[in-house]
Amino acid sequence: MFDWLQKLSGSSQGLDKIHQQFLQMLQDGRHVFDAAANALVGGTRPDVIRADLYETDLRINRTEMAVRRGLVVHGTVHGAATFPALLVMMSLVKDAERIGDYSKNIFEVACSGVDLGDEAAVHALVQMKDQISKFLVRAHNCYQKQSVEESRGLMKEIEAFQKMCDLQVGELLRVQGRNEAPRVLTLRHFKRVASHVGNIVSAVVMPLDKLDFFPDKPMSEQ
Amino acid sequence: MNTTPPAASSKPGLAVTLARWGLVLLLLYGFLIAIHLMGGSIKSLGKDAAKDLFDGIKNPFAGLSVGILATVLVQSSSTTTSTIVGLVGAAKSVALPLTTAVPMIMGANIGTTITNTIVSIGHIRQGPEFRRAFAAATVHDFFNLLTVALLLPVEMATGVLERTATSLTKLFVTETTHGNFDSPIKTAVKTASKGLEKGLAALGLEGIPLTVVMLVVGIALTFICLVFITKNMRVLISGPLERAMNRTLGKSGLAGILVGMVVTIAVQSSSITTSLLVPMCAAGVLTLANAFPIMLGANIGTTVTGILASQAAETSAGLTIALVHLLFNLVGVAIFFPIPAVRRIPIRLAEGLAARAQRSSLWVVAYVLGVFVILPLVGYLLF
Repeated sequence: MFDWLQKLSGSSQGLDKIHQQFLQMLQDGRHVFDAAANALVGGTRPDVIRADLYETDLRINRTEMAVRRGLVVHGTVHGAATFPALLVMMSLVKDAERIGDYSKNIFEVACSGVDLGDEAAVHALVQMKDQISKFLVRAHNCYQKQSVEESRGLMKEIEAFQKMCDLQVGELLRVQGRNEAPRVLTLRHFKRVASHVGNIVSAVVMPLDKLDFFPDKPMSEQ
Repeated sequence: MNTTPPAASSKPGLAVTLARWGLVLLLLYGFLIAIHLMGGSIKSLGKDAAKDLFDGIKNPFAGLSVGILATVLVQSSSTTTSTIVGLVGAAKSVALPLTTAVPMIMGANIGTTITNTIVSIGHIRQGPEFRRAFAAATVHDFFNLLTVALLLPVEMATGVLERTATSLTKLFVTETTHGNFDSPIKTAVKTASKGLEKGLAALGLEGIPLTVVMLVVGIALTFICLVFITKNMRVLISGPLERAMNRTLGKSGLAGILVGMVVTIAVQSSSITTSLLVPMCAAGVLTLANAFPIMLGANIGTTVTGILASQAAETSAGLTIALVHLLFNLVGVAIFFPIPAVRRIPIRLAEGLAARAQRSSLWVVAYVLGVFVILPLVGYLLF
């Protein structure tokens, strides 16, 4: 009878919407990762998925901005008590957005038509790709259910996966003879550091919802 | 990393919500009692003493200055306008004259914008963010200053607002509503107010001391009730408030005016509405052009407090001055909103000032002291 009264109040409604937008970002992140990784190691032709991939990444970027705007409004209306949740969400949407960015990087590698090694090496990459895809699904579920136990388990698995990646990178760096891996990796890290410096400076130029985005670059390229 | 679970929402219980609504109604009752008490206080002063008191602010510039200073001091135009309504609506022989009160109401409109400006100063260490925040705060000031600059001379020359409000009052108020018949609410307000007055008189107070105490109690009660109505209403309507703000972020125009109006009527404070806009503009998620209509709506919405207060006034003059406040803001919106080129005037002035304020904080100090302290003080002392 008094439902309408309760609907009027409560600080959760705005945050609920933001949580839903974040979950959608995770779903889109998985989609864009699967598409990009399949183009690299799964045999999918890059030109077939290019439009969908870029469109999904653009949607991720736009959702991130919408979430940030929503967070500003929520914080302004509800005040200091909501700040911890808002700060956590600011950080989370950045992570979700990066999944889209890195997937695009994977796609660019696929487009360059590189040789990833023998059949065993490619097979190992396919398995790793499948594992990440499952991580993404499980992360979505963990977050949605706020399951502490499941999250702890997943974090352990991800840690082991990261160690395995580091180990393989180390092996590739130590390959004798002409080895371009160290230079590629160095350039990659240089680019990341430069990007982060750019992101920091963007805070002076760009409004909060567009932090880390560049004013003169089209959204589809960011 | 743990965050607020989406499922575990923080919706308050029904009992808490109902209790809050009950409290708001009680505070509203207290607010009306306070207004009636203020009217009564002037009555106990006597006709001649009241005339002497109000003669000191007969000059429109003095009235305007008093309106600004009083609002700056209490940080609430609702308190100032309600007090003015209470004094204008007192018994005819002792009431604050309508013509004297009109510039005071205009002054209250200017004074209220200092709250925003103070909020924006919180961003002073962040250059571009401060520029956006300060522009958002001062665009409201410029609108009010420009509207007063245009309408006060017109009002002084023609009395058009006062005459129109008087005609409107005659339309709304008949002998039955403001003459012999008192509504149950008014009777309840009168009874409590008289009880309070008798209680103060029982302390041995009479004449001027009684008037002063009643006036102080009335103003304090008005202020306290409005503060708590605002606090509770802000919690009660937080859901729709957030949704409304989210929807207006990318929009300009009439929707913004409507949102500003409705939110302000609900929380009974234009400062709350406009202060919400400052951080959003500072963060850059709301543009100044889109915030401006919301501020205009807040200016219209805040006049409802005066209309509400007039319901507790002794005479219909209380409603007339409340309608002057409404008309003043409506005319201001009609001048500055419809034509984009005119709309841009206060926006550009605010942006220009904010750009200077970003370069040197002396501009901030000079502006705040100049508009809200020195000018009204000079105006009051000279006139």
